Amino acid sequence: MSINYSRITALIFLLFFVLYSYFAREIVVFDFDVGADFNAKTFPILISYLGIGVSFLTFVLCKNDGQTMAQYEWLGVIVLFVLVFTYGIIIKSIGFFLSTNLFLLVAYYYLGARSYKVLLLCSLPVVGGMQFMLHQLLGVYIRDPFLNFLGIIS
Amino acid sequence: MNDGILIGLETAFAGYNILMVMMGCFAGTIIGMLPGLGPMSAIALMIPITYGFDPSSAMILMAGVYYGAIFGGSTSSILINAPGVAGTVSSSFDGYPMAQRGEAGKALAIAAYASFSGGTIAAIFLLVAAPQLAKISLSFHSADYFALMCVGLLAIAAFASKGQFLKAMIMTCFGLALATVGQDPLSDITRFAFGNINLMDGISFVLLVMATFAMSEAFMIIFKKTDINFKASDVSKEKLGSIKLSKAEIKEMVPVIGRTSILGFLVGVLPGAGATIASFLAWGFERGIASAKDKLKFGKGSIKGLTAPETANNAACTGSFVPLLTLGIPGSGTTAVMLGALLSFGIQPGPRLYVDQPELFWAVIVSMYIGNVVLLFLNLPLIPYIARILAVPKNILVPLVLFFSVTGVYLISFNNFDIYFMAIVAMISLVLRTMNFPMAPLILGFILGGMMEENLRRALLINDGSFSFMIERPISLGLFVVMILIVLMQVYQIIKDRRSA
Repeated sequence: MSINYSRITALIFLLFFVLYSYFAREIVVFDFDVGADFNAKTFPILISYLGIGVSFLTFVLCKNDGQTMAQYEWLGVIVLFVLVFTYGIIIKSIGFFLSTNLFLLVAYYYLGARSYKVLLLCSLPVVGGMQFMLHQLLGVYIRDPFLNFLGIIS
Repeated sequence: MNDGILIGLETAFAGYNILMVMMGCFAGTIIGMLPGLGPMSAIALMIPITYGFDPSSAMILMAGVYYGAIFGGSTSSILINAPGVAGTVSSSFDGYPMAQRGEAGKALAIAAYASFSGGTIAAIFLLVAAPQLAKISLSFHSADYFALMCVGLLAIAAFASKGQFLKAMIMTCFGLALATVGQDPLSDITRFAFGNINLMDGISFVLLVMATFAMSEAFMIIFKKTDINFKASDVSKEKLGSIKLSKAEIKEMVPVIGRTSILGFLVGVLPGAGATIASFLAWGFERGIASAKDKLKFGKGSIKGLTAPETANNAACTGSFVPLLTLGIPGSGTTAVMLGALLSFGIQPGPRLYVDQPELFWAVIVSMYIGNVVLLFLNLPLIPYIARILAVPKNILVPLVLFFSVTGVYLISFNNFDIYFMAIVAMISLVLRTMNFPMAPLILGFILGGMMEENLRRALLINDGSFSFMIERPISLGLFVVMILIVLMQVYQIIKDRRSA
């Protein structure tokens, strides 16, 4: 049996469903529900049986499809992932307008956009337009300390 | 029924809703054109926008987006041989060769006329079939619904990804497992939240769809170094050529449209099949029945070869609404996303929808027809301008897709945790998709999970905890037989593949 990425993934899923099965059994149900035909545990336990069966079969029967992971642009995706994560961290503290513009500008720049005109035109109007639409048209209020400081929104 | 149609017409022809169809078709065309971003991503991106709308308008907008995305996918298939949507891959077999010999305008016109005709004929079928099926499905019990959902999940795993049945089944189980996170709907017991307050309400459907489709698609463009080599000048009016068709060409198209619209609709109604299979089947079918002389033209710019998949994929899109609207069971990944959207509006699609909310039921059906008209009369002449979106470089496109996905999720909950969770789910999806683990079964499992648990609970309680309901009721028994057949077919396929390898 050769090892390939699909097989490793099937093994990870197998472990996931074994753990899922364990936690499904650990669900605490009400006393009157313990011996019931169906309680909060039943469906998760059934899913775990199916999941374990299917991932085991995949692990055993999976063919080697020659898949390699080295050919892909991992770094670019990881940078974007970190950017999204950072965006999540700063969005509340510095506000929607500033954080979104920063996110877009850094992402454009990282992916190779260098023209200032493009960088600014693809961020400021987009975010401004979105915020205007949310505030004025859809009535969705987003707390924004930066715009509040500038006196643009109250 | 007539009253229902009248209410539906009134709703669909309200100025606001016509605007929704037009907007949906435009937005769908633009998003569907972009390589990688299909109707599921397009609809997912629309969900947050529709939260302030009434359900009819939201569904009308999403149906328009669905059609638009398929049309947009055809455009990129024909113009640059890069299908934006899997359902339009077979359109590139004959559409792209036509574009290469300077008949891009004609190919786009054929695609538009075929889509319009396929969609229109299928909308008429839907008009007739949906109420009948809704009436029949009123006699369904919980056990039948549970069996039907099992068939749906098995079928989508079997047909949505050829040769990957086991992987698709893992994704289905994963989706079902994710659906159990949060409070149990009956006892209110919290499951799998591990003390995390953000998980106690369960995982947001919008978050999951956005992360697995829109965001992971954006990551995929960078991950696979997808090159979008296209210049705005490639779609100038001069390069596209005339969009006029001769009488002989129209005559060649008509019988193909008649045959493949029926085929497409029937395939679309089947759970799991959808536009992709319909379009390939239609292309193969037309090639199979063509004369020896015509057969040689297939793959080299044949009018029949382009008409067949274009008619069938639009007819299948319409067909896939039949199980959604009448049974509440989505027939494809895209309609699963729509079902999730409907559920978030507090609407339970199914046989009662036809009785309780005829304005929504009929308005969606009527708006599909309006959508086809919009695509034909507005999008086609505007293609030289709309197709310029293909010239947007990926370094601008990717951050924008990320921005719309993140904002779409954040604006619903205003919770930073959702952004972190979404990024993690998108990364996992990216890796899984690279290894051919399909995402549609995950979404279907996630959406149907809650309903399956509810119906199984009811069926088991009625039957004193016995699973005998699966063979006692004729409908359940029939569906159980279908399940066994699907599994046996897949087992046979796996054995055959292993022997040939």
